Amino acid sequence: MKGIRKRVTIGFLSIVTLLFFSGMVSLFELGHLSTDAEVILEHSHRNMELAKDMLTALHEQSRAVANVAVLEDMRSDSLCRDRLVALESSLAAAYDLSKSSAHLDSLTVTVTELRRLTNEMLVAQTDTLPSSFGRVWYDEVYMPVSVKVAEQINDFMSATHEGLTPRAEQLNHNAYRAVMPVLISLVVMIAIVLMLYYFILIYCVNPVLSLRKSLADWLAFRLPFAPKSVCRDELLDLKEDIETLINQNKQTKA
Amino acid sequence: MRLYVILRYSGLVMLFAALFMAVSAVVSFLNGMDSSFYPLVLSSLITALMGAFPMLFVPRIEQISNKEGFCIVVGSWIMACVVGMFPYLMWGGEFSLVNAWFESVSGFTTTGATILHNVEALPKGLMFWRSCTAWLGGVGVVMFALVVLPSLGKTKMTLSNVELSSLAKDNYRYRTQQIVRILMVVYMGLTIITTLLLKVAGMGWFDALNHAMSACATCGFGTKNLSIAFYDNPYIELVLIGAMILAGIHFGLIYATIVGKPKNIFRSEVTRTYFAVIAVGSLLVAISLYFGHVYPDLLSSLRHASFQFVSLLTTTGYATADTNTWTTLAILLLIFASVVCGCAGSTSGGLKIDRMLLFAKMFKARMRRQQHPNAVIRLKVDGVIQEEELLTTVVTFMVTYLALLFVGAVVNALFGLDMMTAVSSAIACLGNVGPGFGEVGSMANYAELPVVLKLQDAFLMLMGRLEIFGFIQLFFLKWWR
Repeated sequence: MKGIRKRVTIGFLSIVTLLFFSGMVSLFELGHLSTDAEVILEHSHRNMELAKDMLTALHEQSRAVANVAVLEDMRSDSLCRDRLVALESSLAAAYDLSKSSAHLDSLTVTVTELRRLTNEMLVAQTDTLPSSFGRVWYDEVYMPVSVKVAEQINDFMSATHEGLTPRAEQLNHNAYRAVMPVLISLVVMIAIVLMLYYFILIYCVNPVLSLRKSLADWLAFRLPFAPKSVCRDELLDLKEDIETLINQNKQTKA
Repeated sequence: MRLYVILRYSGLVMLFAALFMAVSAVVSFLNGMDSSFYPLVLSSLITALMGAFPMLFVPRIEQISNKEGFCIVVGSWIMACVVGMFPYLMWGGEFSLVNAWFESVSGFTTTGATILHNVEALPKGLMFWRSCTAWLGGVGVVMFALVVLPSLGKTKMTLSNVELSSLAKDNYRYRTQQIVRILMVVYMGLTIITTLLLKVAGMGWFDALNHAMSACATCGFGTKNLSIAFYDNPYIELVLIGAMILAGIHFGLIYATIVGKPKNIFRSEVTRTYFAVIAVGSLLVAISLYFGHVYPDLLSSLRHASFQFVSLLTTTGYATADTNTWTTLAILLLIFASVVCGCAGSTSGGLKIDRMLLFAKMFKARMRRQQHPNAVIRLKVDGVIQEEELLTTVVTFMVTYLALLFVGAVVNALFGLDMMTAVSSAIACLGNVGPGFGEVGSMANYAELPVVLKLQDAFLMLMGRLEIFGFIQLFFLKWWR
C-alpha cells in the first residue's frame, strides 16, 4: 500500500486509534468507578445491618437482664448470655469490616463494661438474686451503660453514613477522569478530521480538478498543459502520464 | 500564506511536547504508577498523533516566508500551551479548564504563577510534566524544535527572526544554526550542573532536577507549597541564586565566556549593568529589611533580600520569605526588579536590562543635546553605535509595555482586586515573573482570582513571552507583505 491510499488509510487509522485509546481509558476508569461504587454500597449496607443486629441483640439482652434483675425470672439467664454473645460477634464483624474506627473502639469498651455488669449479676445469682442486684441496680447501674451502648451504636451508624460523603466525592473525581479523556479525544478528533478534510482537499481534490481543467484547456484551446496545484504520489504519475500522452500526440501530428 | 506549512512545523513542536509527556509518564511509572500515569500516557498519544498527522501529508518545505515563520512561532506557542493542559485536565483535582490553561501557559511562558493551593498533592509524574513545560518554554518551544528541523539555513533564519528579540540577535553575531547549538549547550549544561549542585546542597534527586529545570528556565515552579522556604537551607539558596543569575544573562555571552572569547560577560556593558543592579538592589533591600526590623541581623536580611531580588529580577519567582510582610521600600525595589528583569537573549522576560540601559543613555544624550544643540551625539553599547531605528523600537516597546501594564491593572481593579494585587499581578504576568504582592504574593497563588482575570493573566503571559509585538502582529496578518 503506497501513495494516496496509504496516507488516507493512515489518516483514518489515526482517528480509530484515538477513539480506541480514549475508549479504553474511559472503560478502565468506568470499570474502576463501578467496582468502587459497588464496594462502597456493599460496605455501607453491611455496616448498617451489623448495627441493626447489635441494637436488636442489645435490646433483647436488656429485656433479659430486666427479667432476671427486676422480675427475678431466673430462666432468662441463658438468653442474657446468648444475646451478649450475639452483640459481641456483630461488633467483631463490624471491626473486621472497618479495620479501625474510633466509634468501634469506644463501643468495645462500653460493651466490655456491659459484659462485666451482666456477668456480676449472673455469677451472684443462685436460687434468688442478692438484694444488691434489684430494680435500683438495673435502673442506676445497668441501664446507663446499656443506653450508652445504644448511643454508640447509633453514632457508628451515623459515622457510616457520613463516611459516604468523601467516598462519593472520590467517585465524582473518578467519573470526571472517565469522562475527560473522551471529551479531549473528541475535540482532538474533530481537529484531526478537519485537517484530514483540508489535506485531502489540498493534495487530492484540488490537483484532480486542476489536472482536469488544464487537460480540458489543452483539448479545447491547445493551451499548454500546466496544472496550478502541486501534485504528489499517484497524481504526480498521472500528470506525467498526461504530459507524455500530449507529447506523443504532438509528435504524431508533426 | 500556506496553512499546511504552518500545521507541519507546529506539529513538530507538539511531537516534542508528546516526548516530554512520555518521559513524565515514565517518571510516574517509576514512582509506583501514580494517578498521573494514564493521563500522561493518553495525553502523549493524543499530542503525538496531532503533531505527526500533518507530516503524513505535508512534505518537507525548504523555503518559508517571514509571515509563515511568524505564524509557526506564535502558533507553536499557543498549540504547546493547548496540548500542555491535557495531562492537567485528564488528571482533574484543582484543574478546571481555565485553571489547566493558566497552569500550562504559565509553564510554557516560564512565568511560574500557579493556581494550585497544594502543589504537594500533585503526583510526581504530573509535577515533572509541570517542570518540563517550564524547561521547554525556557529555551523557546520553537528554538527547541529548530535543532531537528531538517531544512536549510533559510528556514531556520526565518523562524528565529521572530523568536529572538531584536536586541538578542544583534548581540549574538553568530549564524542562526550556531545560535541554536549555543542555546542548547548552555541551557542543558546549566540544568545538569544546577541539578548536581542542588543535590550536593541537600535536595533529593527529584526535587533537585525539578528545581534546576525551573530555575534555568527562570520559571519558578517548585515542588513544595512553601517554595524554597521549605528547605531553609542557605546552600540551596546560594546554588539557586547562581543558577538564576546565569539564566538571566545572554546565553551567547555565557558561551563566549566559557570558550574564552574576548567579548564575555565581564566585558559586556549590559551584563555589568545587570550585575550592578543585582548588587545595589540586593543591598538596598537588605538595609531596608534590617532597619525595618524584619530580620534580627544584617546577614539574614542580606540572605533573604538577595534571594528575593535575584528571583524577581530574573523573573524566576522562587521565594524564601513572604515578601508581603516586608517594608514598603523593599517592596518597591522588588516591583522595580519585576519590571526591569534580566538581559535580552536569556530566558527571562520583562523590559530587559538592555532596553533600560539604552533608555538611560538616551536620557543622558537628550540632556546633553539640550546643553549643546549642535552636538552630534551617538549612542554606543559595548562600543557599537546604536541605530536610530533601534532606539525608536526600544522607546515604542517600553511605552507599549507600560500601557499594557496599566490596562492589565485597570481590568484587575475592575474585578475588585486591591491596588497592590491589581498592579503587581499585571506586572508579574506581563513580565513572566510569577508571584506579585498582596493576594498573589510570594507565598500565595492565583487560585482565588476570578475566571476572567485568570484568562487575562494568561493572555498577558503570552504577550510578554512573545515580546508584545510578536503577539500583536497575529491580529494584523492580513496587512503583512
